[in-house]
Amino acid sequence: MRRDSEFQSYRVVLIATDIHKTFDSGNSGKEVLDGVSLAVSPGDFVMITGTSGAGKSTLLHILCGLDQPTSGEVFFDGNPYSTLSAGESSRLRGECFGFVFQTPHLLMDRTVFENVTLPFCYGPKITKSEIGRRCMDILEYVGLGKDGGRYPATLSGGELQRVVFARALVREPRVIFADEPTGSLDRKNSLNMLDLLKKKSEQGCAVVMVTHDHSLKSYGTRFLSLDKR
Amino acid sequence: MLYILKVDVADAWKCLVRQPLRSFLSSLGIAIGVAAIVAMLSISEGAKRRVVMTIDSLGMSTLRIEPLGTSAADGANSGKLTGITQDDLELVSTWLGGRGSAAGYVKQEGVEIGLKTRIQVATVVGITPLWQLAEDIYREAGRNLVQADFDNQENNCLMGNELAVRLGTRPPVQIRYGGRAATVVGLLHQKGRLLTEGTGLSALDFDNSLFCPVATVPYTRVVGGRELLDGMVVTLNIVKEQQILSLAGQVNQLLITNHRGVRDINLVVPVKLLRDAKEKQRIFSVIMVTIAGLSLIVGGIGIMNMMLANIAEQTREIGLRMVLGASRARIVGFYLLGAMVLTLSGSFFGVLSGIVLSYLIQFFVGWDVAISLPGLVVAPGTAILVGLLFGSHPAFTAASLQPAEALRQV
Ligand SMILES: Nc1ncnc2c1ncn2[C@@H]1O[C@H](COP(=O)(O)OP(=O)(O)OP(=O)(O)O)[C@@H](O)[C@H]1O
Ligand SMILES: [Mg+2]
Repeated sequence: MRRDSEFQSYRVVLIATDIHKTFDSGNSGKEVLDGVSLAVSPGDFVMITGTSGAGKSTLLHILCGLDQPTSGEVFFDGNPYSTLSAGESSRLRGECFGFVFQTPHLLMDRTVFENVTLPFCYGPKITKSEIGRRCMDILEYVGLGKDGGRYPATLSGGELQRVVFARALVREPRVIFADEPTGSLDRKNSLNMLDLLKKKSEQGCAVVMVTHDHSLKSYGTRFLSLDKR
Repeated sequence: MLYILKVDVADAWKCLVRQPLRSFLSSLGIAIGVAAIVAMLSISEGAKRRVVMTIDSLGMSTLRIEPLGTSAADGANSGKLTGITQDDLELVSTWLGGRGSAAGYVKQEGVEIGLKTRIQVATVVGITPLWQLAEDIYREAGRNLVQADFDNQENNCLMGNELAVRLGTRPPVQIRYGGRAATVVGLLHQKGRLLTEGTGLSALDFDNSLFCPVATVPYTRVVGGRELLDGMVVTLNIVKEQQILSLAGQVNQLLITNHRGVRDINLVVPVKLLRDAKEKQRIFSVIMVTIAGLSLIVGGIGIMNMMLANIAEQTREIGLRMVLGASRARIVGFYLLGAMVLTLSGSFFGVLSGIVLSYLIQFFVGWDVAISLPGLVVAPGTAILVGLLFGSHPAFTAASLQPAEALRQV
């Protein structure tokens, strides 16, 4: 069993205890996670590494309540996920979490600006002008201030990923989950992304990032390896 | 709640215009179904109004009796067929007593009516004293015919409204018809014509006729010593359908007995027409609306098919929405709203084209149509139900996606 070395951090937001996950593939269950524990505090930059198929994405899904562990429990602000209703779990994702995926997952028929406003469909409820202001600010922040009216198909990979980043940040989440955010980017864009994430974590946001690029390790403050021994 | 509705309608709309042709076609399916229902109900409503108009014209508590065929007129086999006579009228009047009023008439069409140098062609009707009461038609100007006019056999008469306009005159005035002079003492209210189509009764246009005491007109035929009438009008002082039908049966029996068992009369009971028509109407409506409803269901299947295709393509998007905080209920609502947008716009154009279709049918086929207001509500209402019904399966399919798996899809 692996354990996060600095379990007893101060002011923990997210705690996972002894997470097991087994997928039923055919007759034989496939154990992907075998007892993972983790605690994340505001300002942490957690780096999860591991080879392909080690269960990094699966862990991330469990941490944000999109998937249920076979056994073990995840707590957010001290509330165990297993006691949350489906609606409460959705609200948690809407109000406290931000996501960056390996592939952009943008709506191709909407402009960059519309894509960034999409999270506000699911709360919090603020005025249209306030939404507009916050979206413009965040696009400015990621360096796409002039590209709000463009469509995703016309953007480069690095720009797309910055749009996704803006979408993840626009509701000012307390935890950012990033699943290989630099997977499709070149070196320069990757470092760009990491700088943005780092800046956020220094502002007090917890960042949980999956990567298999060990050269990015310098950005992390905490490390978790899922590699089988 | 309202905010969510607003946001999701806008969002759903954007998702629908992504596949404009697909959305348009499935909306069109609904529109056709709604149009069919609106048109069918309009035809049905038109037929209903037609019946009501007929009843209105023939009289609710009225029985109309005319001889069957032309036996009275040609007189060749009058030995056997007796037609309707003054004798019949007296019999019915006596039998009725205070329960109603019976009147008889003889009629001649195409008579030239002369006023000074003007001549107009009209129908001359010879009437018995209670005729005005039985037909419920009275003067607009001048006076009604009174018993004295009948007793004294003076050539006093009443004129129909349009005939008076055509002749450009008002009572009292002297006119000439059939080689004799007469005085018009009263002008009748406008009443239109009897809607006798389909009843076997002869036509009568009140507004283009001249009404004189029967004894003063030269059109009375006498066969075998009996004065023949062209028909009889009986108005009963009762309104209950059952009683009217029962009295009608008795009058019929009375006359048949008086004619020694020969069924040579046509007794029309408008109330009965109404009842028959209503029954026929009901069956007709049910069949038509069922057929139209089927086309609406086909429209619903179109919506369902389109939604299933959309959802299959939008797996990742649904996953994304769940990640961003959409609950399953929101996803269900989102897709149902999409279905509603399609059915509502389909219904809107369906109602419009249904109305247009109704008038086209009226114009080209010649059926009476009347836009049925309940139909304008029922048809879109049914469409919305169909949308909800057929939309719920795809919507729940979408909501039951596992977000973690949906996100893994490439
Ligand atoms: N729904 C599922 N059913 C069965 N097996 C699954 C399912 N989802 C994931 N797996 C398996 O679980 C394992 C871990 O998957 P996961 O996506 O977490 O890996 P990963 O560490 O993110 O890999 P990568 O670096 O390639 O993204 C894989 O072997 C995968 O095949
Ligand atoms: Mg992965």
